[in-house]
Amino acid sequence: MTQEPIIKLENVDICFYVRESGHISLKEFIFKPGKYKLLQKQFVLRDISFEIYRGESVGLLGRNGSGKSTLLRALSGIITPDKGKIHVNGKVAPLLGLGIGLEQEMTGIENIKLSCALMGLSKAETKELIPEIIEFSELGETIDWAVKRYSTGMMSRLSFSIAIMKQPDILLIDEVLAVGDKGFQEKCLQKVNKLKSIGTTVVYVSHSMSEVSNMCSKAALLNNGHLEMFGDVQSVGDKYLQLF
Amino acid sequence: MQKFLKGVLSTLSDKGFRNAILSLAVKTIKLRYKNSLLGVFWSMLNPLIFLVIMLLIFREIASIPNYALYALSGLVFWNFLSASVLQVLTSFIDNAAILKSINLHPISFPLSATLAAIFNLLLSLIPFSILMFFLGYRIDISIIAILPVLFVSSVFILGLGMFLGTTNVYFRDVQLLWISIMPAFFYFTPIAYTIDIIPVESQKFIKLNPFYYFMECYHDIFYYSRFPDVKNFIICTIMALIVFGLGLYFFNKYRKGFISNI
Repeated sequence: MTQEPIIKLENVDICFYVRESGHISLKEFIFKPGKYKLLQKQFVLRDISFEIYRGESVGLLGRNGSGKSTLLRALSGIITPDKGKIHVNGKVAPLLGLGIGLEQEMTGIENIKLSCALMGLSKAETKELIPEIIEFSELGETIDWAVKRYSTGMMSRLSFSIAIMKQPDILLIDEVLAVGDKGFQEKCLQKVNKLKSIGTTVVYVSHSMSEVSNMCSKAALLNNGHLEMFGDVQSVGDKYLQLF
Repeated sequence: MQKFLKGVLSTLSDKGFRNAILSLAVKTIKLRYKNSLLGVFWSMLNPLIFLVIMLLIFREIASIPNYALYALSGLVFWNFLSASVLQVLTSFIDNAAILKSINLHPISFPLSATLAAIFNLLLSLIPFSILMFFLGYRIDISIIAILPVLFVSSVFILGLGMFLGTTNVYFRDVQLLWISIMPAFFYFTPIAYTIDIIPVESQKFIKLNPFYYFMECYHDIFYYSRFPDVKNFIICTIMALIVFGLGLYFFNKYRKGFISNI
């Protein structure tokens, strides 16, 4: 393929800045100057480079804490890299975990409006999308309930339906598909496949090898913040299983 | 810094971003009173309770005519200043879920919290202005001065809130400190009393208190029905600009650690 990559990472470093030893209070910081630095740098991702092309779907594999979710956050623009460059050419819809970004005290419909506004949609665009979102989520009249009364499955229905309705160019999924019931899972997979068929790029974090090999054409393996391997699903999957 | 300011300006001119900030502000107000019976009336009840106490205790000490109007006009805006700084300073933590999951410039949180505070004030000003009339407020052209004074106050609140809020992400002591220090500042600021009853040599300490200058502006408009003292207003503006610059600088320098520390 000679086309431009839709996602391109060049030597990306991402660090977390955490307070040293966790429990210094303001008092210690002020009265023992120099002893503590305010923020300590920790590498979460180191020297990551890869390219993803339009229409590809990539499974992200790795142990817990290997930096998969951080990588998704970086792709969605929530975290900016400390070093290196991330090029993303298209509308990104991040689905970063269950119920994240949903306001517990507000109703389903209020949450739809808020999420759409926060993702930059205008009121008119949102109004158009609302019936579609409600229909896809199959939440029916529970859409008027406060989200705190939702079950985990209902929350994932809502957040998935919101994210997917904007016709994204790139869909980032962080293990959220696993929560809904069988029927909804299949519906989501169908929707993802349909989006894939019209050229949507998917980056998918999962611990289930069968899901990754079903859904993805390529896979990436993260280990301790390094990109261990990037290539076809089969060989990356084998390498992943060797980690344990 | 210049690049950063340019970035902020171009984000602010984006329609989608403005819509996002507005929605966040509306959400903040809705959530605040969601599960309460009296709802928005709570923000009116608090000054009224204080007003009664002050009428009972401080009226004699203050010894100025029409003390009720003086006290009420001070209380309403004192509540606005102290409560809204607190809301701006906790805005990053309050919106942790959004901050971690949606690609939205983090300056949206203090901005929307400031907006929500202004909405809230305007809402409570409707019944309070009626009450002020009954307490003897004389309508005067100087009322238009409320616009620049409110604007400068908001810039001050936003700046101070961003500075304290950024620190608060790393040291939660800050919000506790603010909550415990503000009641003290209430007595350190001429709200229940006028500065004239303080011995002249002690007045200079009161004048070190930044809130003094803001409260004087509000008193001028609502109690004396006159334009705020120009010197006071200029001091307010200078303080607001300094605090805003400091807040923006601090926020920009330390926001890279927000995600890993909230």
